[in-house]
Amino acid sequence: MSSISHSAVTRVKEAVAARSNGALLSATEPHADTLQFTIEKTRLRAVVECLVNDFQARFMISVGTDARPLTGDFTILHLFSLDREHLYILLESPVSEKDLRIESITEIIPGANWAEREFRDAIGVHPDGHPDPRRLLLADDWPEGVYPLRKDFPYNYQPPRAENVAPQLREPPAGASVVPMGPFFPALEEPSYWRLFVEGETVVGCDTRLFYNHRGIEKLGDSVLTYNEIPYLAERICGICGFIHSTCYCQAVEKAAGIDVPRRARYIRTIMLELERIHSHLLWLGIAGHIIGFETVLMQTWRIREPVMWLCEEISGNRKTYGMNTVGGLRRDLPNQLKPKLLETLAGVEKEVVAVRKAIIGDTTLHARTRGVGVLTNEWARKTCVVGPPARASGVAIDARIDHPYAAYDEVPPQIATQAPGDTWARVIVRVTELLESIRLVREALSALPDGSICAEIKQEIPPGRVGVSVVEAPRGEAVHFVLTGGDNRPYRWRVRAPTYPNLQAMPAMVANANIADVPITLGSLDPCFSCTERLETIDRRTNQVRVYSHAELLEISKRKGRNAAPQQTVPHGGVR
Amino acid sequence: MTTWLIRTFLLGLLNVAAALLLSPLCEGIMRKLRAAIHSRMGPPITQPYWDILKLLGKEDLRSTGGAVYAGLPALTLGSVLLLAALVPMGTRAPLGFAGDLIVVLYVAAMSSVLMMLAGFASASPYASIGSSREMIMLLSVEPIMAIALAVGAFKARTLTLGGIANWQAQNGPSISMAIGGVAFFLALQAVAGKLPFDIAEADQEIMGGLLIEQSGPRLALFRWAIWTKQLVLAFLLVEVFFPWPHYGIYPVDLLATLVKVLVVLVLVTVIDVVNPRLRIDQAMGYYMRVAVSSLAALAFAVIGK
Repeated sequence: MSSISHSAVTRVKEAVAARSNGALLSATEPHADTLQFTIEKTRLRAVVECLVNDFQARFMISVGTDARPLTGDFTILHLFSLDREHLYILLESPVSEKDLRIESITEIIPGANWAEREFRDAIGVHPDGHPDPRRLLLADDWPEGVYPLRKDFPYNYQPPRAENVAPQLREPPAGASVVPMGPFFPALEEPSYWRLFVEGETVVGCDTRLFYNHRGIEKLGDSVLTYNEIPYLAERICGICGFIHSTCYCQAVEKAAGIDVPRRARYIRTIMLELERIHSHLLWLGIAGHIIGFETVLMQTWRIREPVMWLCEEISGNRKTYGMNTVGGLRRDLPNQLKPKLLETLAGVEKEVVAVRKAIIGDTTLHARTRGVGVLTNEWARKTCVVGPPARASGVAIDARIDHPYAAYDEVPPQIATQAPGDTWARVIVRVTELLESIRLVREALSALPDGSICAEIKQEIPPGRVGVSVVEAPRGEAVHFVLTGGDNRPYRWRVRAPTYPNLQAMPAMVANANIADVPITLGSLDPCFSCTERLETIDRRTNQVRVYSHAELLEISKRKGRNAAPQQTVPHGGVR
Repeated sequence: MTTWLIRTFLLGLLNVAAALLLSPLCEGIMRKLRAAIHSRMGPPITQPYWDILKLLGKEDLRSTGGAVYAGLPALTLGSVLLLAALVPMGTRAPLGFAGDLIVVLYVAAMSSVLMMLAGFASASPYASIGSSREMIMLLSVEPIMAIALAVGAFKARTLTLGGIANWQAQNGPSISMAIGGVAFFLALQAVAGKLPFDIAEADQEIMGGLLIEQSGPRLALFRWAIWTKQLVLAFLLVEVFFPWPHYGIYPVDLLATLVKVLVVLVLVTVIDVVNPRLRIDQAMGYYMRVAVSSLAALAFAVIGK
């Protein structure tokens, strides 16, 4: 990537070295756009402070890893992005088993709140000085001291339930009453529990309990599945942006292993990603209409969306969950003879979207319900590290497609739409504009679609100990996948951060002092995706549903398959590992 | 005297039965129309009848006890049926002699108040929010209906609905009655619980609001009461404010009335379909403006227009 500013690299290196005050253990450049620093944990907070204040680094996620089998310690890694400089910065600190604590950075970056609670729940490293150290993702009856992402925790272990536990919920301020929203609520057909503290019709505060639906995906990734099986699991992280997660995972592994993906595959990935954005935004528009009782919008946008789903079905065989991605490229080509049909369908969709946009912009009642509602200020959007349309609607001009180009976006760059007000209306406009932009991108990518192979030949085993960070701009914002390669043909650690994860953290500020009637549309305007967000805790899983390949079997299959190691046949379960 | 009594009784029975039996049909037509605008097939027109039958056959579950709570659904439907007997629906109002428009206004408000009570009594936070919203809506809409009917009363110099309707039929359109009619129509949207004013139920915000705890036969009666009330008030609107053409040939006049009622319900549905839900404060502000504007009708009536 030529656009990386080398002076920025030097400045960051110098600043980190200076601020770590002799505690810098190592500084490496695993990739041209990735800087990795290992710092003693006592100086980590100071370095984070410097990155945020002096470089406007955007916090992405923390990764807690049980590296005891490798180094004897746990590691906590904070991942940052310098968007303008197109750089990733990895700040890593070893945490010894004897002192399982690390200084919290949530005071500096409010958006790190959940990330720190998550590594505490998952591997047991306690963030010292965290303002809200309640349990985040483990179930309330999960016993204390059992950490599911530790390497000595088998993926199918079921700990005994803790007795006499209650969710740790905040009490409402005096004079306010609690109006529960969820875990089952008509406007959010996903499990999230919001406790709105209400005086009359005014929301004076809220508390939330999420993560009701963890599926243990990351644990399966680093203990049961193999590199080439994970794309299919990654695709199932989300029912809407499945292709986004499988692409993001594959890119992370490809980057870690230094695999060059053929140009045609990168173009087809771009096309599929944009098609996913088109149908996701149309879906969202319908749901937003439904939330404020505007069923006509729901019915019409979903009707418009349907041909896009048929198109995806024709390309991949499935409306959703295409199963097209594999490490190194694609398993399925986009037939050239489908081009005319694609263009024709998109022309029809575009015409109708333009009509919908006109109707929306002219609807005064809609203005009344969305303008000035659920305002996310630019400052708070930056502090909570919000991504995607909610960020862009608050004037934060970030877009993974521009900031960290992937697939074919360096050759077909998108125009990004930003708005200043940060209200629900701005988020509607940003998404509708993006819809039309996505249609343009698909057209452009189709006309420039090169011929050639769709999958790279992978001749060697993926070496262990490499890191790869990959982002994909999902319809809801930037998805981040972090992979640390391991032996055994699987990642040592695979970390997924869906866009809803930071976006939901901005929600309490957005509904403060709102009318209770505005809460559902405010939450809806974030386009939250709970299945994306909830992927970590291990739950009981019928072992016979998970097919496990032994190392030898896998090797056999990969040899047989030659070019790509995607196993086509299933082998009976070979026991628990 | 006896024949008059029997005739009044039969007429009342006819009005009540017609309102009860026709209201699900009207609801069915409205649903079909909604579906058409949504590009959907929609349920069969007879679906509301089956809905009611199905709900009536279900178990009667109550979230709280108490005789009053138990009887509220029946009382609500009863109050609507009483309203049906007080309003001219293609014939003279069966009980028109017993109550003037003040009684009609009170009876019309009664069903809302009873539903509100059921909401407050059902001990659900959603229901109490729904009930307080219903109260605000009632307080916003009631003055508009009162002003609109007062215009008629002022012009016709009578407080009976039948008298106003007759006067209007004979004297033809006037500016004041037209404004009053429009104001009454706008109020009807909220009374019928249609978008953008279905705020007291607001599925996506408060999960059905004041009806959240109602199920089975209780829900059937409440739903039936709401449908019947919207039909009866549509009749009232048509009979009092738009009674023309009036040929004096009964079947033709009746047919004209039914067609006009249908037109009113179609308009209500179209407004419902093309609008998102307003917030309660926005709805209140809207009806405040309607109420102030409808005062113009009174002014026009005073100067004889």
